[in-house]
Formats: sequence, structure tokens, C-alpha cells
Amino acid sequence: MLARSDKTSDAAPAPAPATQDGTRGEAFNRAQRHSRRVRVLKFAVPLLAAAIAIAFPVYSYLKAPISISVQADGTAFSNGKLVMANPKLNGFTKQKLPYSLTATRATQDVGQQAVIDLEGINAKLPVATDNIVSVDAEHGIYNRDANTMNLTSDVSVTTTDGLAAKFKSIFLDMGKGSMKTSNPVDVSRGGSRITADSMSVEDNGRLVVFENRVRVNIDPTALKAAGVNSGEQNASQ
Amino acid sequence: QSSATSQMSGLKLSGDQPIQIESDKLEVRQADSVAVFSGNVTVNQGQTLLKAGKMTVYYVKDPKADKSAAAGASAMTGAANIDHLVVENKVYIKSNDQIATGDTGTFDMKTQVLTLQGKEVVLSQGDNVLKGCKLTVQMKSGLGNVDGCGSSGRVIMSITPQKQGTAQQGASSK
Repeated sequence: MLARSDKTSDAAPAPAPATQDGTRGEAFNRAQRHSRRVRVLKFAVPLLAAAIAIAFPVYSYLKAPISISVQADGTAFSNGKLVMANPKLNGFTKQKLPYSLTATRATQDVGQQAVIDLEGINAKLPVATDNIVSVDAEHGIYNRDANTMNLTSDVSVTTTDGLAAKFKSIFLDMGKGSMKTSNPVDVSRGGSRITADSMSVEDNGRLVVFENRVRVNIDPTALKAAGVNSGEQNASQ
Repeated sequence: QSSATSQMSGLKLSGDQPIQIESDKLEVRQADSVAVFSGNVTVNQGQTLLKAGKMTVYYVKDPKADKSAAAGASAMTGAANIDHLVVENKVYIKSNDQIATGDTGTFDMKTQVLTLQGKEVVLSQGDNVLKGCKLTVQMKSGLGNVDGCGSSGRVIMSITPQKQGTAQQGASSK
């Protein structure tokens, strides 16, 4: 593009033979200016590209708030452990949906900031925009960096669409939206119920696998009574 | 291709009766509205008992059910309506005194048709035995039809007259 503009200015002075040496001097200056411009651009353009490459990720990181805030009523410090009374933790799942976690007591080892031991837990885990899974458990270990929660004793899970589940223990990965347990489970909804010795939920409930002694009881009439509105027409008509 | 028809009112699964399913494993894939029971699957509904190696339940794809876990949950606990189910790896169906066995079977809840296929489909009622390659039962009417194998296949039927002369379930063959 730069070269082309030189050619047009050249054509204009050519017919005047008298200023022969003048045009030659001018042409020489223009060529010199051109090469200086190229030298500058050779350096400036890559620098500009690098600057953009760095700025973009920084900008997008700042834009997505990965804030994990912790508030607690009272905190005490005893033998190298920070003890918090009814703490509240908030964070975001991969789909940028907020999840919240409250407990009666949290203890955090000073050495391991990310791992928090919780008692009397209630967690609200958004599995979808319109469906929040609320989890209650006596005891659990929350890992802030990994965004996971390992509930180690009697857990009860309920969802806004009427699903109720009981587990001996369960491992929740809030980031990935997955749940896993290798202890007995009991899941019921309306009039139907599933029990099994282990279960894993992947991809926010899109894939659920029960294993070992799986038993499903479906009572369609109770389902209707429970107002489960999944498809009005009855399959058997 | 000869076939035999007989009355099989027991052999059916219906969508509005309590049903109990047991298996080693259950996988619910919400995206395709499918629940796969695998590993000695047993299904109990009223008088009917079904055993198979694998049973795949296809739920009615609910257009308004969004892709969330809610739909997964409803498929998971059978609340969603069943469109049809496919049973494989050695199928055994027993209802009252009728027993049918085959390799694979399908229950279509919409058309209420049960089919059982295999190298040898055996349908027995008491001492009467009917063998062929395909059993089709209209679950509503209970009318069953056994087709022979291949184009010239024959249906083998053996009827054992009741000794005490009790009323014998008519099994007319075309």
C-alpha cells in the first residue's frame, strides 16, 4: 500500500527534463523516508500485537468475578486452627450460577487455607437456572481451590422440582456440577423411588448412574397425585 | 409362513400400574431421554414377571422439558411417560400360567404391542407349547400371534389334552 502512493507522485514531475538532477534527489529522499518508515513498522507492529495478546486475557479475567467471599459471625484462634461460628461461603459454578454454603461451625487449619472443615452444613447448589439442589449434612470438608465438598455423614438432598435423596456420604464437585457416592442411596420423587448401593451424577444431572442392587419402584398413580406434571397423556391409553 | 394365534391376556406391561424394576446397574441419560437397566434385570408388574439381561427404557421426549437436571430427575424416577422399552439378552416373560421366552423383545406403550423375537421363541401355557420365531401380542386385547421362522418357517405346536377333561384353552391354528 505504501509503495503504490510513491508511484503516483513520481509520474507528475517526470516530463520536466530541466530539473533532471532535482527529481533524482527527490526520488532518493522519498526512498530514504520510505525505508525509515518500514524500519519503524517492522518493530512497531509485532509490539502492538504482543500488547493486544496480553491485554485480552487480563481484561476477561477481571470481567468474570471469581469471587469467593467468606463471612463469619465470630472467629476464634485455637492451637493453630481458625474456628469460625456460622460462616457463610458464596462462590460460582462453571455456568456462572451462584452457590452458597452455610454451616454452624467451620475450622480451618492455618497451614491449609483452602481446606475448611464444616459442621451442620446447608449448601445451595444451582444445577440449572430454575433448579437448585439444597444439601444438608452433619459434617463435610470444603475445598475452596478445587471447588469441591466431601460430605462424610448422613446427607439429605432436595431439589426444587420435588426430588428427595438420602446418602450415607457424597462427594460434590460444584465446579463440574457432579456428585459421587459409593454408599447406599435412596432417591425418591412423587410416587417413584430408586435405591442402590452407589451413584454418580455427571454434567449437572444429564447423566446419572446407579450401581449394585438397583431397585426402582414406580407408582404412576402416586406420581399423578404428587402433581408430577411430566406429560399429561397417560402412556397406556 | 404359518402362524398360530392364541389368547394371552396376561402378557402385558402397562404404564399406569405400579411397577418394580431391579438390576445391577441403571444409567439414565437425560439428553436422549433413555434409562438403561443392565445386569439380571427383573421387572414385576401385577401378574407379569419379566427377566432380561438388559432393558432400555425410552421416555417420551418432552419438548418443554429443558436440558436441566429436573428433566433428568423425572426420567430417572420414571415420572416421565414411557414411550417404548427394549429388552435383550435372553428374555423371559411369565404371567399366570403363560411363559414366553426369546432373545429380544419390545414393549411399545403407544401401540400397546409386545413383540418377542429370537432363533426360537417359545410360548407355553400349562403343557401346551408353541414354537416359532416371532411372537406378537396386542397387549390391549391379549391376542397373541406366533410366526414361523423365515419365509417357509413352520410353527410347531403341541397340545397336551387335559386328562381331567378341564376346559382346554382353545389354541386354534390357521
